[in-house]
Amino acid sequence: MDRALQRTKILTDHLFQSSPSSPAQTPSLSSNACLNYSPPELSENYAFDIKHMRKLIDGHNVEERDWLFGLMRQSKLFNPKVRGGKVFVSPDYNQSMEQQREMTMKRIEYLLERGVFRGWLTEIGEEVQMRKFACFEVLSIYDHSIATKLGVHFFLWGGAIQFFGTKHHHDKWLRDTENFSIKCSFAMTELGHGSNVRGVETVTTYDSNTGEFVINTPCETAQKYWIGGAANHATHTIVFSQLNINGTNQGVHAFIAQIRDANGNICPNIRIADCGHKIGLNGVDNGRIWFDNFRVPRENLLNSVADVSPDGKYLSSIKDPDQRFAAFMAPLTVGRVNIAVSAVYQSKVGLAVAIRYALTRRAFSLKPNEPEILLLDYPSHQRRLLPLLAKIYAMSFAANYLKMLYVKRTPQSNKTIHIVSSSFKATFTWNNMQILQECREACGGQGLKTENRVGHLKGEYDVQSTFEGDNNILMQQVSKALLAEYVAAQKRNKAFKGLGLEHMNKPCPIIPSQLTSTTLRCSQFQMDALCLRERDLLNLFVADVSQYQAKGESTERAFIMSYQLAEDLGRAFSDRAIFQTFVEAEATLAAGSLKDVLGMLRSLYALICLEDAAFLRYGYLSVGNAATVRREITKICSELRPHALALVSSFGIPDTFLSPIAFNWIDANSWSSVEH
Amino acid sequence: MASSVSSQQDQVLVEAISSARILTLNRPKQLNAQTIQMISPLLELFLAFEKDPNVKLVILKGKGRAFSVGGDVAAVVRDIRADDWRVGANFFMKVYTLNYLMATYSKLQVSILNGIVMGGGAGASLHGRFCVATENTIFAMPETALGLFPDVAASYFLSRLPGFFGEYVGLTGSRLDGAEMLACGLATHFVPSVKLPMLEAALCDVDSSDPVIISSIIDQYCEQPSLKEQSVYNRLDVIDRCFSQKTVEEILSALEREVVHQMDGWISATIQTLKKASPTSLKISLRSIREGRLQGVGACLVRDYRMVCHVLQGELSKDFYEGCRAILLDKDKNPKWEPSKLELIADSTVDCYFSKVNNEEWEDLKLPTRAKFNLPPYAIAKL
Repeated sequence: MDRALQRTKILTDHLFQSSPSSPAQTPSLSSNACLNYSPPELSENYAFDIKHMRKLIDGHNVEERDWLFGLMRQSKLFNPKVRGGKVFVSPDYNQSMEQQREMTMKRIEYLLERGVFRGWLTEIGEEVQMRKFACFEVLSIYDHSIATKLGVHFFLWGGAIQFFGTKHHHDKWLRDTENFSIKCSFAMTELGHGSNVRGVETVTTYDSNTGEFVINTPCETAQKYWIGGAANHATHTIVFSQLNINGTNQGVHAFIAQIRDANGNICPNIRIADCGHKIGLNGVDNGRIWFDNFRVPRENLLNSVADVSPDGKYLSSIKDPDQRFAAFMAPLTVGRVNIAVSAVYQSKVGLAVAIRYALTRRAFSLKPNEPEILLLDYPSHQRRLLPLLAKIYAMSFAANYLKMLYVKRTPQSNKTIHIVSSSFKATFTWNNMQILQECREACGGQGLKTENRVGHLKGEYDVQSTFEGDNNILMQQVSKALLAEYVAAQKRNKAFKGLGLEHMNKPCPIIPSQLTSTTLRCSQFQMDALCLRERDLLNLFVADVSQYQAKGESTERAFIMSYQLAEDLGRAFSDRAIFQTFVEAEATLAAGSLKDVLGMLRSLYALICLEDAAFLRYGYLSVGNAATVRREITKICSELRPHALALVSSFGIPDTFLSPIAFNWIDANSWSSVEH
Repeated sequence: MASSVSSQQDQVLVEAISSARILTLNRPKQLNAQTIQMISPLLELFLAFEKDPNVKLVILKGKGRAFSVGGDVAAVVRDIRADDWRVGANFFMKVYTLNYLMATYSKLQVSILNGIVMGGGAGASLHGRFCVATENTIFAMPETALGLFPDVAASYFLSRLPGFFGEYVGLTGSRLDGAEMLACGLATHFVPSVKLPMLEAALCDVDSSDPVIISSIIDQYCEQPSLKEQSVYNRLDVIDRCFSQKTVEEILSALEREVVHQMDGWISATIQTLKKASPTSLKISLRSIREGRLQGVGACLVRDYRMVCHVLQGELSKDFYEGCRAILLDKDKNPKWEPSKLELIADSTVDCYFSKVNNEEWEDLKLPTRAKFNLPPYAIAKL
């Protein structure tokens, strides 16, 4: 009772009291010895041309990116908020799930009207593919929901029509998809089967009397799950299903199905339910689908690798079902490439915010009455953030390499693309979550505010380690593929070629017993160390697997048992492959300040890799050398400190897409900025 | 103190009243067109006032029927013809330095735009804290018709107007009146010209450097003007649809699509204006506004300086000289642009305008250091 009275009194006081005096009437409040926000732009210098650096790490379509950033900044749909005199855009994550979904769709319509998607499915060639990648990177900086919703529509559905379908599918669907006359989804995953697509339980049969396929969900675990777009908007989907012809299962095939009419009503013989609220990505309407004798015309089978004749005969140019399945899955690579490269951009947002904050926020003075120390002037803070910056520079080059590999693909390069995209997707997305967590903590309590983005992005992007292939499974595929390369080279007694494994043909590199600073910064040494680990782990993995096989285990079982080496090997491959792209990018530059800074970042990246436990575990580094590596890292961090602002400014992310704590966080939090 | 400066510089008049300083641009016959003899003293005065603890407020206005029509381009072109393009570059360097100083000024600048304000005139006022428009105000950025581009960090303030109004104003050179300036946010206040003497007196009286107080004083003389029925600001949705397109060519075809839908004189006139402007100017202006939207005011000025040096150097295009000939000197109003069509301009040529000038002695614009001043939040936000 007392408590209630007390609260009432507080509330009454609050309501009847005249509002606290505004700063205008008490100017002394702002002019006393309070902390001032000192913009880092005014005190830090740029030792290199940040526009040049941006061009190098963005790699392509810089003008297109800026146009798209501008389109979002100028529209109320993207929820602009003024903080500290600057405009910031970010979705209102405080809206309900339903509202967020509607906003995502409205934003897509706005971009559609402005011509952002022009040519995305109706043009072919490298130029439009690179343009698409650039736009996705930019959109994913704004919000993962909009990028995912578009990814499902263009890359999954659109890609499936392009690659699984044939001319009549292209003619019928691509233009309608590009201009959103239809809204599309992709129904592959089921409750009971995710990564193991070959195990899906949806069954399709053929009715030669009507010339239709009949799709069924035979059990609860066969319900389609996580289907982006299915819960609210999608009018069409591609159903992945076993195809049963005259009692013979021909394996997984894909069928076009209309699931809603033009008015948004769910079609007969289909049941749809919502997946519900998620830890992020609530602007995407993920749903579940059940099919009850649902019929689609015969030509809705995407028939690039297999077809069924009107009288019900199964026809395929690829006889081996394994190969047929592989041919089927190959187009999904583009989604993986896209996820990998956009993960790098989330990390850029996190690092730009955390480093800018660390250049303006102070804590603790060494002596009483002395000014407090800037966070980024603490060696420990440098050690937390700057190696992550080096990683992101390395991964930017690797991402550009991956995109080029993809757009210049040939039938011969499919295997390489599969392995590199799997490895980079897993590595970049895991890395992204670690970076965002570190950046969140580096921003302290401010990192917890949704408006400051860093912390919130974790929930939004967590799914990247799962969709389009679970990271652990992808990494296992990398190790398996490396083992296959090894076996093939041995069997045919031929040299290793491709995947960067050529180093296996050379003598084993030797690590000096006493490492010096000069050696540690030498790119040849760095490459040697990374190759040594990869080479040795591949040898160990091969030996381990064959040992299990010698004991009578199946190859599959032997892989499962050797998982620890497989994981270490996968990481060794990724680190080395990423490093190689860094070295190649650096080699294209003329001597100068930009190249010097990149050299430092490259060394820092390499040395961080050398801190991987494998180097000590398998004895590639002595305990003494490991300590030397650690000391050198600290040294490079302090040398990079003066370039920190320039390095995050080079990311080319407009201020509007960062967050209030990255700028004048005092003014952004002042009383006058409170909405009274 | 300040009056001693004024006596030797008659293109800028200086009055000191209590803690306010009133600067009057004084070339009324030339509509206060800016020359190096006007910009240099302005720069010195602004620097001196910032250090002077007795100064709290700077009022800037123009004598006669213009605030300022911008840089005295005809004079600049004459100089360049007689001498080296770098004489012109030096003029623009001073102008841009002044723009930066005003944008990041630690004291208050109130500009009174009682008349024509164009190009460099906008640069000398809109970057400051307060801009007062009147019923006499006529604003425009007419550079694309002259073979130039909206410089003076117009890419900063135009790009931040609602929607894609900035692209419209920057590419077409469309004129805005005081009511429109207030509506779109280019002006902070609208005061009828009859009240200006009282406003000035009140500002000189107040002895404050607090923006909230100064703003409330101006508010006392303000009126809410109404937009003309035919105002372009009532056409924002068409402007947004068309001027948000990626390229100048796509903007034009979007406008042409609109004409088909609705026979509208305004849209056809807009298309005609764009077709009369220098194609090179249109392309580099659009790119500049788009970049400026994502940059701080300093970066905008560094870019403007690169661009203007390329324009003056005349190696990529001589449209600026042709524009000055046709509009300002021969006045035949019939410039022969080269390249003559948008589609004849390669992206790589446009790129060149944004890169450093290939000349050993040339350097990027060096912005004055502002670190030692305690910048107010609204200036910090522009960095």
